[in-house]
Amino acid sequence: MKVSLFITCLSDIFYGDVGKDTVELLEKLGCDIDFPEAQTCCGQPAYNSGYVSDARKSMKHMIEVFEHADYVVTPSGSCATMFTEYPNVFKGDPKWEDRAIALADKTYELTQFIVHVLQTEDVGAAYHAKATYHTSCHMSRLLNEREAPLKLLEQVEGLELVSLPNAHDCCGFGGTFSVKMPEISEQMVAEKAKHVDEANADILIGADCGCLMNIGGRISRENKPVKVMHIASILNRQG
Amino acid sequence: MAGKIMNKKHFLNHVAGQLGRERIMDTVERPEWKHQPQWNVLKDASQDELVDILKEQCKSIHTEVLETNKEQLSSTIQDMIKDNGGGQVVTWDDPRFQDFQVNLETQEDLNIHVWDPRLGDENIRITEQANLGITFSDITLAESGTVVLFSDAGKGRSVSLLPSTYIAIIPKNTIVPRMTQAAEMIEEKVANGEQVASCVNFISGPSNSADIEMNLIVGVHGPIKATYIIVDD
Amino acid sequence: MSMKIGAEKFDERVQEGLSDTFMRGAVSSAQTRFRNGRLNAAEELGGWEEWRNLGEEIRTHTLENIDYYLDLLSEKVAERGGHVYFAQTAEEANNYITNVVKKKEAKKIAKSKSMVSEEIGLNDALKDIGAEVVETDLGEWILQNDDVDPPSHIVTPALHKNREQIREVFHDKLGYSKTDKPEELALFAREKLREEFLDADIGITGCNFAVADTGTVTLVTNEGNARMVTSLPDTQITVMGMERVAPTWNDMEVLVSLLTRAAVGQKLTSYITSLTGVKEEDDVDGPEEFHLVIVDNGRSKILGTEFQSALHCIRCAACINVCPVYRHIGGHAYGSIYPGPIGAVLTPLLGGYEDHKELPYASSLCGACTEACPVKIPLHELLIRHREKIVEEKGEAPVFENISMKAFGMGTASPTMYNIGTKLAPKVMKPMVKDEVISKGVGPLKSWTTARDFPAPGKQRFRDWYKKRQREES
Repeated sequence: MKVSLFITCLSDIFYGDVGKDTVELLEKLGCDIDFPEAQTCCGQPAYNSGYVSDARKSMKHMIEVFEHADYVVTPSGSCATMFTEYPNVFKGDPKWEDRAIALADKTYELTQFIVHVLQTEDVGAAYHAKATYHTSCHMSRLLNEREAPLKLLEQVEGLELVSLPNAHDCCGFGGTFSVKMPEISEQMVAEKAKHVDEANADILIGADCGCLMNIGGRISRENKPVKVMHIASILNRQG
Repeated sequence: MAGKIMNKKHFLNHVAGQLGRERIMDTVERPEWKHQPQWNVLKDASQDELVDILKEQCKSIHTEVLETNKEQLSSTIQDMIKDNGGGQVVTWDDPRFQDFQVNLETQEDLNIHVWDPRLGDENIRITEQANLGITFSDITLAESGTVVLFSDAGKGRSVSLLPSTYIAIIPKNTIVPRMTQAAEMIEEKVANGEQVASCVNFISGPSNSADIEMNLIVGVHGPIKATYIIVDD
Repeated sequence: MSMKIGAEKFDERVQEGLSDTFMRGAVSSAQTRFRNGRLNAAEELGGWEEWRNLGEEIRTHTLENIDYYLDLLSEKVAERGGHVYFAQTAEEANNYITNVVKKKEAKKIAKSKSMVSEEIGLNDALKDIGAEVVETDLGEWILQNDDVDPPSHIVTPALHKNREQIREVFHDKLGYSKTDKPEELALFAREKLREEFLDADIGITGCNFAVADTGTVTLVTNEGNARMVTSLPDTQITVMGMERVAPTWNDMEVLVSLLTRAAVGQKLTSYITSLTGVKEEDDVDGPEEFHLVIVDNGRSKILGTEFQSALHCIRCAACINVCPVYRHIGGHAYGSIYPGPIGAVLTPLLGGYEDHKELPYASSLCGACTEACPVKIPLHELLIRHREKIVEEKGEAPVFENISMKAFGMGTASPTMYNIGTKLAPKVMKPMVKDEVISKGVGPLKSWTTARDFPAPGKQRFRDWYKKRQREES
């Protein structure tokens, strides 16, 4: 099965390991990876800030970049959500609407792809630790994917999952929100870090680099020992 | 006498204009809604099951429930009045008291006032001082533990509102699953050319408030206590 | 009071909210209770998504045909002896109402909770003509006695106050001498307000839903005060936002079921009171005279725009009760009687961007509001539409942001530019990196690093690794 990887800016620039783990994991599961080099960003930072015409430029570019793909897979619930929003952005646009729909229809967040398309829940991973999981907002509420990551994590050998208090709460990242409303964002991430602390886990797992960067940054600032990891890195750990 | 309608044309023309069209002058057919989950709630419950659901719900709305039959109703009510300290009692002027052979006025040890339109505001003065108010339920909603009261000349709004304790007599056959059925009955009446009562009250237990630190306080402006008496008819 | 509350700037209001420890604790625990209540109620009911779909269907149809339903409503109210006044502006509404009060020579007015009356500043208008207005909802009464402190929540207006503060208000203003136990405070209110109800010449209410096909106003309450003000005074005035209309009792019933569950997790509130016209000829209690005032006050501007669904709102506050931003800053920080996500959407529409331009940004777009809304208003998307308007139509975005977003547009539409930009990132950031992280950022990173560390860019971008790997493989 040929899978076109959409790596996302954060993973490309800051979290290369997440990308590597994603590639290796998908290959292990029998996928042929295609990485269209012309890819850039899904446009979300501009779109969510109201710069819709600027965002459209990158969206059109991304539609073209992935036009040839059978499946587009990305290690980010938030960026996958943005792709699935494209049809709304280009609604009524004769040139772009159908192409936007085509892209949205073949886009999957990584765990979603493994569980729903590859129909696999046990990827043969092992990781010995006590972990808690952060349900990122866009993935759970907008992409409506709540089960897939947990199904996969439950099968990881040695991984003990404990619940995160107030898991439904946003971590306060919100893209440009974190720099536009820093005082409020700070309170939100501090509250999230407190709940992570209360979960008493060794690691915090998430499926979105944005949230992990935010929560991880706070945990690092507070000098807490909790390790923050992307789910791809857990699932790629050999048993 | 019909009331006046003021400033309508200008207002509604403007509204229609904002919607980018002319005013709608024909009848709008309300569509059949695609989703109608309300009819599925307690759809298959028997009358006895509805009674159980009603009783269960009353536990969470701080409402005491007594069950009795037609023969016992009169004495049940009298006991209730005495248990609640007696004092002034106000009831609706409702033929159902006769139908259920409840004759409170003849009891010498009770202080009963029957709502009487001829007395005008005196009714309100007495009711405001009353310890207990007693009415029948016109429709009863099992799901929410609600008695539905239609106002009328003998059926003052204040009887279920002003006294400290409110007692509702619920004939078992008035119990329906939920508000859906009550709304439908009202719509049917209207479709048959009847007028809807000037005041329809859906009452679920005593008055309450959570306005102070989210603490539930039972008994604010309306009754502090509510009791339902279900009568097997 | 009007819709806008307070004169401070948004940042100052936020700071004030953030530093109010009691308020934040109160809001946080209230949110937990509201949220659990709503979720339990929805689960108990079953098929909640179907209910939401139905709610959305009813509201969409009603708003699309709102002129028809308002026309029908007014005819039916008039048939039952009520007067109907259509007010395009707050001023028109207030003028009409004050004229009724003057004509009746009314001295005392008992009022049950009504957000739209706050919005149009009705109490001030009544005070100006010398009428005494008593708010009778417990929360509103507390606020009124505390020198008209504005509400901070649309369902529980005094949420920001604790029992000691309430006791103090009662003590200082009303001579209360008992403890701060909620039961004692409420009993005091019961006794005091009972006199007011009996004394009042006019009752004023809001309106949760108005049934068009019978001309019926429905009030959803728990305390019983709305029943008092519609049973005892001879004259009743009901003020409704024009979008509160529902076609039939069947529809009203569904909306009430959604409202009580979404707002407080109750199957129904203690009192749902449905009032049609004036009292019947032989009725003793109930109003002899009834006026329905239907208020536009900026709502019609929203019709026919991408924001129309904001008018579907049934004022349950479910979005407020799940909003993490509201939790931390509280209601007053929004500078509007409509706080939280729906407030951030509605306030700029009704009051303009000028005074409220920060509100659409007071959200991390986490979507909790959209998920909670019982009539499926896409709240977080409407916030993005506001941002779009501010940026692209009003051109009111900050210069730095504007430049960076233009650069973003260029950089992400062109692989070459993206390549250069992302390659440069490590070099640009290098001076700030210490122990693998950036703890003291400059520029846009400065505010980020006040609260948390920022990761140092990887030594190698993913794409460089991937390319190298491919080369090695071949």
